[in-house]
Amino acid sequence: MTGYRVAGRGRVDPDARLRFIFDGRSYEGLHGDTLASALLANGVHFVGRSFKYHRPRGIMSAGVEEANALVGVDRGRGRYTPNTRATVLELYDGLTAESQNYWPSLRYDIGAVNDIAAPLIPAGFYYKTFKWPASFWNKVYEPVIRRSAGLGRAPTAPDADRYASRFAHCDVLIVGAGPAGLAAALTASESGARVILADENPEIGGSLLSDPAVQIDGKDAWNWLEEARATLAGRANVTLLTRTTAIGYYHQNFLGLVQRLTDHLPAAASSLPRERMWKVRAAQVVLAQGAIERPLVFDGNDRPGVMLAGAGRSFLNRYGVKVGNRVAVVTVHDSAYLAAFDLARAGAGVATIVDLRRNPRAALLAEARSLGIEVLSGWTVTATKGRARIAEIRVNPVDQNGKVGAARMIGCDALLMSGGWTPSVHLFSHSKGALDWREDLQAFVPGAPNEAVRCAGAGNGTFGLAAALAEGAAAGAATAGSAGTPTVFSVDGEAPFSGVYFRELPTDRDPTRAKAFIDFQNDVTAKDIRLAVREGFRSIEHVKRYTTNGMATDQGKTSNINGLMIAADAVGKPAPEVGLTTFRPPYTPTTFGAFVGYSRDAHFEVERKTSIDSWAEANGAVFEPVSLWRRAWYFPRSGESMHEAVARECRATRRSLGIFDASTLGKIEVVGPDAAEFMNRMYTNAWTKLAPGRCRYGLLLGEDGFIRDDGVIGRLSDERFHVTTTTGGAARVLATMEDYLQTEWPDLKVWLTSTSEQWAVIALNGPNARKVLEPLVQGIDLNGEAFPHMAVREGKICGVPTRLFRVSFTGELGFEVNVPARFGLSVWKALIEQGRPYDITPYGTETMHALRAEKGFIIVGQDTDGTVTPHDAGMSWAIGKTKPDFVGKRSLARPDMQDPKRKQLVGLLTEKPETVLEEGAQIVDGPYAAVPMPMIGHVTSSYHSETLGRSIALALIQGGHGRKGETVYVPMPGAMHKATITDTVFVDKEGAKLNV
Amino acid sequence: MLRLAMLPDCARFVLRIAPADMAAAGQVFGLALPEAIGAVAEADGRLALKLGPDEWRLHAAESDGAEIAARFAAELGTTPHSLVDISHREIGIEVSGTAALDVLTALCPLDLAARPVGSGTRTVFDRVEAVVLRQAENQFRLEVWQSFAPFLYSLLEIVGQEVEAGL
Repeated sequence: MTGYRVAGRGRVDPDARLRFIFDGRSYEGLHGDTLASALLANGVHFVGRSFKYHRPRGIMSAGVEEANALVGVDRGRGRYTPNTRATVLELYDGLTAESQNYWPSLRYDIGAVNDIAAPLIPAGFYYKTFKWPASFWNKVYEPVIRRSAGLGRAPTAPDADRYASRFAHCDVLIVGAGPAGLAAALTASESGARVILADENPEIGGSLLSDPAVQIDGKDAWNWLEEARATLAGRANVTLLTRTTAIGYYHQNFLGLVQRLTDHLPAAASSLPRERMWKVRAAQVVLAQGAIERPLVFDGNDRPGVMLAGAGRSFLNRYGVKVGNRVAVVTVHDSAYLAAFDLARAGAGVATIVDLRRNPRAALLAEARSLGIEVLSGWTVTATKGRARIAEIRVNPVDQNGKVGAARMIGCDALLMSGGWTPSVHLFSHSKGALDWREDLQAFVPGAPNEAVRCAGAGNGTFGLAAALAEGAAAGAATAGSAGTPTVFSVDGEAPFSGVYFRELPTDRDPTRAKAFIDFQNDVTAKDIRLAVREGFRSIEHVKRYTTNGMATDQGKTSNINGLMIAADAVGKPAPEVGLTTFRPPYTPTTFGAFVGYSRDAHFEVERKTSIDSWAEANGAVFEPVSLWRRAWYFPRSGESMHEAVARECRATRRSLGIFDASTLGKIEVVGPDAAEFMNRMYTNAWTKLAPGRCRYGLLLGEDGFIRDDGVIGRLSDERFHVTTTTGGAARVLATMEDYLQTEWPDLKVWLTSTSEQWAVIALNGPNARKVLEPLVQGIDLNGEAFPHMAVREGKICGVPTRLFRVSFTGELGFEVNVPARFGLSVWKALIEQGRPYDITPYGTETMHALRAEKGFIIVGQDTDGTVTPHDAGMSWAIGKTKPDFVGKRSLARPDMQDPKRKQLVGLLTEKPETVLEEGAQIVDGPYAAVPMPMIGHVTSSYHSETLGRSIALALIQGGHGRKGETVYVPMPGAMHKATITDTVFVDKEGAKLNV
Repeated sequence: MLRLAMLPDCARFVLRIAPADMAAAGQVFGLALPEAIGAVAEADGRLALKLGPDEWRLHAAESDGAEIAARFAAELGTTPHSLVDISHREIGIEVSGTAALDVLTALCPLDLAARPVGSGTRTVFDRVEAVVLRQAENQFRLEVWQSFAPFLYSLLEIVGQEVEAGL
């Protein structure tokens, strides 16, 4: 036991001793401690340096509102977390933490010079000082400010933890398991409603954990609590979530809860997730978030050892730690007396209670007297002294007229302060519920709700245990509808709970020199707020941004109201007219991991594979991602470079036979009596006269007339089309079609079904393509006349059904073998086997791209960019001129769309045949034009053509169709390349190879 | 307890037909089609799930697929409809055991617990579209496009581990 541990107090386990390390020193704590309580038990108050002035700071609270005691926690590589609040960091054996914001050491910190220079660093300092010279901003000011800004160091190693997420639905979600939340849960769950009760603490109980003496239903608080816990745990319809913070309240009762699963364990099994994000949709919500104590505003209120009175009480009653051996109290509220009394009874030596109120309750005064505590009512605190820990307070009487009398010094090693309590309305505010100002509480409370939500207890401005229990029970009953009857609780031993509000405490000293902090985390003082108002800021939102009050990671939990009240006073308006800053999610700082959930590594995104992918992998394919698919890019043989492999694949395909996995093509089955009419309206082409068994290249435009997608479409029967789309466009095209069908043409009797994954597609290209198919195909006459180019037949291959297309994306004799996907691999293997005499060569997407470019076939999204019309792409032939309408037709009639100077698709041949232009390179008219040269186009596709033994390129060039034969220039790093505009077809211009 | 299994192949069709003609389609299929969206009819190895106002999902034994397609073409030829074979588009995953509901709910924004046995719907699990059928209190069948199945299957395994670890 250390000097500050009180035997027999608290919920810690005195037999479970834990070692932990803080700033390199080893300490002992107990199971059930937080880092803060364990440090205090060891007499350590000074735990960090403040953000701006580097002032020594201690532990100011016992909860999530902590603005001072922010530490870095190191749980091993990839597991470092800065800015963890020591007050909610559960102690485990071996915990390693460090203080922040100092150099070279916490005690001797060079940045502390900022504190001495504080008068030179007023609010808005950065805005005022670093305005000029302008060139200094990027190079000097910003880097320096960035280095000194921010608290804690950001981890650089990848997060080694795993995170989980989960959707959940319930009838009632209750946030906060203090008395009000428990009463709501006990009542709401009686009816069998699905209840989720979430609390950010490791155990339920809320304020009861710090108030063991009070009695509920004749039982000591902790006994009652255990019974309530057992009751709830025994109800199958209740989900009890501890260590779970409701971080945000979104539309339609959708709330995000972050549950900490393993951080409190010394060495969690690495396979278990660290945190889980619950995404809860609740029919009804009860918010019982409680209240947060306000600090008092006086010079030196941030010295280590100064803390909120309720925190002092929590450390004693919940953790068995007295925060000092000579404690002083300063208050404007009854509740601080409870801390003083409990500490005095625990032998902490409470010297003095300074009460700003002139007439505290007689009962409190009597009890103080009986405990030997001096009460200075109508006195104020005007300063604190002590290095790294408070040693003395300066107190003065204040007379009836507010005049501050002569000072007196009181020695102490801790100072508890209470400025009253602020209801936690954060989540209610997230849900856009209105906030009402309660003059009697000097606080905002929930007003008219915007969601199905009720608030109960201190978070609703309903203070006092009996009142909170009653309001919680009523809220719980109301969520269950008329069936619910509120449980009635009786309370004994409840203490008085009233107070007044003070802004800056009265002082006899110059208030403009006081370091009276409001926002402890961002180092904002009362005089900063007043300065901001003097400089013209009137709205609290502006004051906030100018002073940074409430802008730290604690979001002003302890500073908002003090900031507002002082600003209101300076402006000379009532607080509600000055307003309250907006609360935004998350309620407390949340790890990125919790948001990421499962979406990392293999689950970052789906990687789709075709049925033939395993063969490609086994045969050495190099893959590339194409939308969500992984596709074989090329198949290098041992020792081959990519260039060599692609060249070989191209040669083989042009000379004999190539085989290609085209399964990723999007496919849509369009079926119904109006199928042809639907196709007429969607695609530019005419479909009515396309005979069953024939195919046509289809071009799909947007309403704006620009090319969106393309693909070969086969007509299987009068009423059935097999539409193919680009790989990446599959989902988009289907969605577009459904959109038109459902919203524009609901009268058409036609239905769309995605068959992208029903069919594996094997493309065979090359002069020997037919020969390899002949022995394997049944029921289809492959003869060139019976089965011409751009035709489709149904039959069998290798004994399984096939839709066999005779199409070509290479310019060679080509077939696309569609088979039901699970047969894809076996048919592929059979074709490979059958193709051996022809040196059948598997090729990947790179060869496919190069071969199609030789033929001038476009790739939508590469040679088009959403601003290319069919005419621009040289495909006016694909437009059904006599059709009354199709998507995009009207836009094509706009004058601008017919401008001959539009960028048009052309071929480019470089002067030097070995030069392969960069895709995306800009094109200019001449090499000697003034810079910046007018750019007349850009390269869209560029390859080495193995067939031609030279480079080829496609490009979009202004008025390009009319400029064939002209010379243009392509500036690239290191050289200006000369090229000639040509036709887009480089190989077999007549298409002779297709018709064999 | 969680049991995950890839289900044997079967014949699957998407049937689109006007509600007025559904009785005729049911006769051809050999099973009266359910009328309510989300309802499932099941008999003699055939299953029909209504997914939308004019949309049904039909399942049958793999060997019956060709015959079903032929019967629709022959007997319903003059009634506007669309029957499309998607047998190979999808893979069935069975998720069963006492943890099944928890595991599925973890990944699905729908309130699956509120869905009765003998119902089905199209929804998403994580980012994967799927049709889910609740076949018994603790037995679900997912129908997923084949290329998305490995992603979903491994995610179900991960969540299953968490649930089984008592987290």
